[in-house]
Amino acid sequence: MKKCIMVAAMLTALIPGLASAGETPAPEGAKVYFIWPKDGATIKGGKFWVRFGLRDMGVAPAGVDKKFTGHHHLIIDDDLPPFDEEIPADNNHVHYGKGYSEGRVSLPPGKHTLQLLFADKNHVPHNPPMFSEKITIYVPAN
Amino acid sequence: MKILKASIALAALIVAGGAVAGDSPAPKNAYLYIGWPNNGEVIHSNNFRVWFGLRNMGVAPAGVDKKFTGHHHLIIDAPLPPMDEEIPADNNHVHFGKGQTETRITLPPGTHTLQLLLADKNHVPHNPPVVSEKITITVE
Repeated sequence: MKKCIMVAAMLTALIPGLASAGETPAPEGAKVYFIWPKDGATIKGGKFWVRFGLRDMGVAPAGVDKKFTGHHHLIIDDDLPPFDEEIPADNNHVHYGKGYSEGRVSLPPGKHTLQLLFADKNHVPHNPPMFSEKITIYVPAN
Repeated sequence: MKILKASIALAALIVAGGAVAGDSPAPKNAYLYIGWPNNGEVIHSNNFRVWFGLRNMGVAPAGVDKKFTGHHHLIIDAPLPPMDEEIPADNNHVHFGKGQTETRITLPPGTHTLQLLLADKNHVPHNPPVVSEKITITVE
């Protein structure tokens, strides 16, 4: 039994490609990024539109099976989730399954992080995973 | 004469409802705009990126039937095409049927106009049509 687990662990280590990303391919050179806000921005009031940038790939609503497409997810105040599973849907992982390329966000005063993660029709990240830089923004107290 | 003009305008207005848009509904608050370049921008390169802004509506590749979605079309140096027909595909009407939300275009030096028009799975504009402001740029 132990041997079996060891072999499995070794295999996983040898073939990380199988475990670290979903099965949907992303084209080489494709890029997900924030058009706005910029890293370090101070946003009075904390209500703003986040503009999702996507290069050399297309947007499609969740459930749509088209090559080199996906939909945006905005990760707020959290780390990247596992790349080989469905992205959770909660206040820290906002799904834009209707194909939106911008999202309205409302955040309380304080320091916040934002990161974009693109995913396929089943909400699983692509291979290779497509995510933006993690940015930090500040919402001043009223 | 004044009455005649008014009647023609009224008739056009009434007929317009039936002929000026396709069959796919768009939400009333849908907002389409060119994120960059800005109106009046002077660009010191003949090759530049254009990003497409869309609010309260989603992007879907051509052929995909999902409510309140569409794909972008960039109209370059041309007026808006008819709103109740498939948007032509040529150098002046560039289709982004793969669901792209930005592009890179090459234009010769001079003054140019750019305008975005969203359209449904069949490349026909929505009802009401979702159109951006028409901007003018100069390529140096």
